[in-house]
Amino acid sequence: MANPLLNEKGGDTHLLLGNEAIVRGALEGGLQVATCYPGTPSSEVPDTLYKLSPGGKYYFEYSVNEKVALEVAAGATLAGAATLCTMKHVGVNVAADPLFTLCYVGAPGGLVLLSADDPGCHSSQNEQDNRIYARSAGMPVFEPSTAQEAKDMARDGLKLSRKHGQPLLLRTTTRVNHLRGPVEFGPAPDPGKVEGFKRNPSKYVPIPAFARPMHLALMERMEALREEAENSEYNTVTGSGKLGIACSGISRAYVADALDNAGLADKVTLFELGFSYPLPEKKCLDFIKSVDKVLVVEELEPVLENDLRVLAQKNKLDIEILGKDVLPRHGEFTVTLVENAIREQLGEAPVAACDCPLPELPMRPPNLCAGCPHRGTYFAARKVFGDDAVYSSDIGCYTLGILPPLQTADFLICMGSSISAGGGVAQASGQTVVAFIGDSTYFHSGLTGVANAVFNSHDVLLVILDNRTTAMTGHQPNPGVDKTVIGENDHPLDIEASVRGLGVTEVRTVNPFNQKKTLAAFEELKALKGVRVLIAKEPCPLYSRRVYKKVAPQVAYVADSCAGRFDCLDKLACPAMFKEGGKAAVNPILCNGCMLCLQVCGHIKAKKRGS
Amino acid sequence: MSDVKKVRIFMTGVGGQGTLTATTLLAQTVLAQGLPVTSGEIHGMAQRGGVVESTVLIGCKSPKIGLGEADILIGFEPMETMRALPYLKQGGLVVSSIEFMPPLAVAMGKQECPAIDDIKKAVSACTDKAYYMANQTIGLEAGAVQSGNVAMLGAVCAAGDLPFGPEALEAAIKANLPEKIQAVNLKALELGVAALNA
Repeated sequence: MANPLLNEKGGDTHLLLGNEAIVRGALEGGLQVATCYPGTPSSEVPDTLYKLSPGGKYYFEYSVNEKVALEVAAGATLAGAATLCTMKHVGVNVAADPLFTLCYVGAPGGLVLLSADDPGCHSSQNEQDNRIYARSAGMPVFEPSTAQEAKDMARDGLKLSRKHGQPLLLRTTTRVNHLRGPVEFGPAPDPGKVEGFKRNPSKYVPIPAFARPMHLALMERMEALREEAENSEYNTVTGSGKLGIACSGISRAYVADALDNAGLADKVTLFELGFSYPLPEKKCLDFIKSVDKVLVVEELEPVLENDLRVLAQKNKLDIEILGKDVLPRHGEFTVTLVENAIREQLGEAPVAACDCPLPELPMRPPNLCAGCPHRGTYFAARKVFGDDAVYSSDIGCYTLGILPPLQTADFLICMGSSISAGGGVAQASGQTVVAFIGDSTYFHSGLTGVANAVFNSHDVLLVILDNRTTAMTGHQPNPGVDKTVIGENDHPLDIEASVRGLGVTEVRTVNPFNQKKTLAAFEELKALKGVRVLIAKEPCPLYSRRVYKKVAPQVAYVADSCAGRFDCLDKLACPAMFKEGGKAAVNPILCNGCMLCLQVCGHIKAKKRGS
Repeated sequence: MSDVKKVRIFMTGVGGQGTLTATTLLAQTVLAQGLPVTSGEIHGMAQRGGVVESTVLIGCKSPKIGLGEADILIGFEPMETMRALPYLKQGGLVVSSIEFMPPLAVAMGKQECPAIDDIKKAVSACTDKAYYMANQTIGLEAGAVQSGNVAMLGAVCAAGDLPFGPEALEAAIKANLPEKIQAVNLKALELGVAALNA
């Protein structure tokens, strides 16, 4: 049966993940080109588009990074294609350079940029609020709060962007990307052929003489979009109470449930902004004038709050506007938090606090999987360098090397920073630096760092952890992979050749499960100066099972001779191993058969899986 | 929305246990009953053996459950049941596994898991409506360890706090799961309902 997401007819209702709903919406909006760099919580959007791509009527690619993804998307929309480009919030930082100028140049075919923000840092290094990017660059913003809206707004975002020729930001947060809800499908007709690029240098080439009028044109487009926001069905005012509540995004869901719980819906005027920028000023003014006080409910930065404050000041309205002075500026909200903020403004007692105590329990931090090749690399690095090196880490599963006993992540900035920031440490202090980067991250933004390190004669040992996939975000392909879930990679790039091409002369490639050779390579490179690269190459075992259909034929077991020294447990921290009585033991179900532990302790042996 | 009685279900387990599959199945069951449903999940780093938390809410718009808001707590691992207790409303329903999946620090012998009796005691301080079952054992008996999660869902449906019973879950299994794993899960459902009544 064909995937229902590709069905051209509408009418059905399906339970969808927010990210799947965005895919359906894009298809209903006539999607022709989609580009991305994966990143939680956005990853299921491109993953779904990728899986559907053999049967879909659009072009899809995993680009090497967000800047490139947005640049490919920019070219596509200039050629007239209805285009979607997806990334997580920090990815927009990478794409910021093309983004600002693209907003001048415009998007003739329509372009929706999905920015999946992550309040609460569920899987990210910061909580930045990308609504601010939209205000700075000049993009209209849609902020869905349900799966249905995620679908509708992806569709309408593409159409609106195409109508005005302006890139649009679809700004979600983790809770929206990863919620599931019923979605009623509309029609998703064949989008047909892309019109093709029409030459117009004064419109599309931002040399200074052209860029100045482009800026004016951008402001005109944004004014036209402000009119759209004034009339948008996504912006609604309901109720007639004297307390005004303004909210956007997932906060709308919290407010709705809070009012419902508290039975206070008749005491507030509720202003919901789904199309939150450009600010529909007339609608906002009418709202502000109709109430005695405004409470703005939005996660993270006081974006809408400040907009309303400016508007009130400009119009000489003396009204109290509350927001970040009563609600936190960090993390996610909850229904109860919002309910109590509303209750307080209405002079009602807060909801009774939960009195179940927070139990003190062993934590369950995420850990490198059993059989993860990174464990072998980190173990060897620690054995050779111990605490004498500064370990520069990067973005990926392998950041989990931070935990004891491996402790091979001393600092981390962003994608690709391991080599360049590591070089900074080495050049500034003369300390020994070992930097780690994954294969996907290397192609994302490690290449430029290597070029820089070679050019500036940095003294860094870079370890490229090549597990043949982008493991952290769900096994997406990158230029180095040879196989994916839907087929072969026709042009696999050779990491070793690329490193040599960038001018690194000291390069070694090892299988990290071969400890003897890995240790020898580390020792050899330790003795040298300058930029040295060790490529630790071995597939992620989860990926291997899924894509190569390969499972190690053996598993480890602890022989009765085990003396209970627990070196294996203390130094490897493999989740398949545990203490049982006074001895170590291996859980054969969890063991992935990497045989690293056999090289750490002679009392651990191999046996045939299942025997 | 307000004419539907709200029910908030908080589910917790360990990455890789199949918590999210169970969550989707329960959400599909609610949808098939014609009830407004929203469901949420938090993963990412959690896939590497961390805690996975998910939610199914009936009659709500938000996919999130805050402290003290859950009507039902389903713990696919007993220590995670205990960790999630602050999310439970006083007097809410708890259905929990009694089979531990020790975190690394425990496996390494550096920390200890609480005893199952400590967990039951902590639960009984919040509610007297609690059911315990050996979900992995039941799952294996049904034919696949992951189906133990469906056994627990069956128990929740049979406990009477949802606006539907186990037959709704049975229909959802038949409508949504691939044919080759239906029999195992239907068996697990049956065993879960039996375990509740045992």
